[in-house]
Parts: sequence; C-alpha cells; structure tokens
Amino acid sequence: MTTDDSFPWPWQHDFPPFYTLQPNADTRRKQEEAWCTLILSYCKHYKTHQLDVAEISAGPLFNNKSIQRKLATEHIVGILNVLSKKGHVEWLDTNKKSCIIMWRTPEEWGKLIYDWAKSFGLMNTVCTLYELTNGEDSAGQEFHGIENWLLVRALKTLQSSGKAELISLGEANDGVKFF
Amino acid sequence: MSKQLESFQNNLQEFAAKHRNDIKKNADFRQHFQQMCATIGVDPLASSKGFWSEMLGVGDYYYELGVQIVEVAMATSHRNGGIMGIEEMRKRVSKSRGSKSAAVSIDDIIQAIKRLKVLGSGFSLIPVRGTYIVQSVPGEMTLDHTVVLQQAESTGFVTKDQLVTELGWDLHRADIALEHLVREGLAWVDEQGDTTQYWFPGLFHSIIDK
Repeated sequence: MTTDDSFPWPWQHDFPPFYTLQPNADTRRKQEEAWCTLILSYCKHYKTHQLDVAEISAGPLFNNKSIQRKLATEHIVGILNVLSKKGHVEWLDTNKKSCIIMWRTPEEWGKLIYDWAKSFGLMNTVCTLYELTNGEDSAGQEFHGIENWLLVRALKTLQSSGKAELISLGEANDGVKFF
Repeated sequence: MSKQLESFQNNLQEFAAKHRNDIKKNADFRQHFQQMCATIGVDPLASSKGFWSEMLGVGDYYYELGVQIVEVAMATSHRNGGIMGIEEMRKRVSKSRGSKSAAVSIDDIIQAIKRLKVLGSGFSLIPVRGTYIVQSVPGEMTLDHTVVLQQAESTGFVTKDQLVTELGWDLHRADIALEHLVREGLAWVDEQGDTTQYWFPGLFHSIIDK
C-alpha cells in the first residue's frame, strides 16, 4: 500500500507511550479505542481493504520514525483481533498474517443502502448490482463505487434479515430486490 | 485616613465608568485596573451583584470565562486526567469564544479560576517556574504528585532517575508517586526510550504548541 502525506494524524500519533501497551486498565482501554479508530480512519482515507501484517507494521501507521516508536507486532495483531470482534476485520489465514479490513461493517453498509433504496422508492423492484453502485441515482452516496465483494456482503446481511433478496440475472449481471 | 480612602474609591469608580469599554476589551488594561483595586483593598469581582459588576459587567465576564473553562476541562479530562498547561487552556477557551471576541489573557484565566475555587469547584492552579498547570479533578493529589507534574512541565515527561537526581528522592518515594499518577490515568508509560518514561497527555499539548 503506497501512501502520501495527506493523512491527518491524531495527537496520539506523536505521543511516545501510545506505542507501549499501558499497564493501567482504564488507560489501556482508551489506548485500544484510539488505535481502533486510527486504523479504521487510516484505511478509509487510503481506501485500503486488505492488510498484510508484516508490511503494515513497517509503515507509518504503526511505526513513527520521527519519535522512534513503534507498536510491536503482537500488539498490532491484538488490536486487529479487537476489530475482528467488532466485525471490521476478517483474518485470511490461521496464522494471522493478513486480513480483510472494512472501515464500515457489511451490516452498516447494508443499512445505508437499504435506507437509500427505500427513500428512492425501490421497494419490490429489481435492480442490478451495477446500477446500484454505478448508476446516476446513487451518485453522491457513500456506497457509490463500492467494490463488488463488499456490496454482496452488505446485501447478504439484508437478505438474512429479510430486507432484500439477491437474484441471479444470468451471465455477469446479478441483481437485488429490496423489500 | 478613611476620607482619603473614600475619595480614592470615588476616583476609582469614576475611572471605571470612564474606561468601561477598555476594561472589557483590553487584557492589560484589565490587569492594571485589578492591581489598582488591590492596592486599596477593593475586589471588583467579590460578588456578581453590586456596583462593579453592574457598572462594568466585569463579574459577568469572569463568570462566563469560568463556565467555558469548566467546559474545556470536562471535554478533555477523558484524555488528560484533569490536568492541562494554562496556555493550552487559554488557547482552547479563546477558540471556543471565537475570533470575533476580545482576546483572553493568561491573567484572565487565572482570575476566572480563582473565582471557581471560591465556588468550591475543585479547580486549582499549580505554579511551575513562571507558568501554571490547571488541575480540574481534585482526586488525591499530594504535594509529591504536584512536584512530579512540575518536573514534567517543560518536556511532558519524567523518569525515575530524574526524580531521584533533581528532587533528591529515594527510588521508593519516586515509585509511589509515579504509580499513583499512572493509576489515576494522568500518566502513560513509555518503555521504548533508554529508561522508562512517564508522559502526561495534559502537558503534552503544551509541548507541541510551543
């Protein structure tokens, strides 16, 4: 993942103890929360959906060279585990070397899409997935241009709560019906 | 003697009336005025009612400032455990007042906090070499804890060795003080320096803004 200098770092980024696991339980909770928020906004900013632990641990997110502090790999994995419990991360291997990261969970995307579909009067009509994310109607929506795998996940969460049904329209086009 | 005092007071009142706007808008002027009052033993901010505050609205000014100081303290205590350098407090309060308001000085913050103290709000000022640390959560700060904060003020952190060398403490005393500050959430631990460093988020911003 290549990055420019545009990310607006929070104050913790330059705070040396941020990179040491805190002994005080309350402080550690705050630290963990701050790391979770930082990781998600960093990935959102650079539109990253996949992390390789070894690669990311050497990058500026976890390694601040200007203050010579870095977060140990075991703690990086620890924080990613917390994000996994919250539904933002899925490990791609049992050794926890790489993961998918979703700064918005599929459920959160699902809700956003459903609310938009409802406000656009799309109940009980079929639309193609392409239309959904690339059509004029969704221009300006946050989910516009979202990657297909994530879109399908989002729609599947709606499907399990009976709010949508994924439909195969043959060949490359898949569609969805909202209820 | 009392006749002189009375005439002095009258002059002061005339002065106050004449320079009302200056007192409201100009921090130096305000401080000068306060000093004048102190000389004759008059405290223009003693009550929120009465000639002075009605005449000048000065009571309201410090009351308003006090409220804003409390708001800043409440909004940041989650992060800094209730301590903050006074310059950072001044900046944050100025920011919340907006760019159209008259500038807020360090002395204004000091005066407002002194008023808050009188109300028993748990605010206190810790003096450090020419400046102050504002403490807004009373907790169980002992003199040792305060002294550690004073040591940390210029760099944002202390080490155990520093307390031993600068203050002549033994290691046990340093341990107790630092453990308390870590337990209260005022200090974070950094293990990646040459020795363990104890950093204070409340003093960290003062460093990066300097």
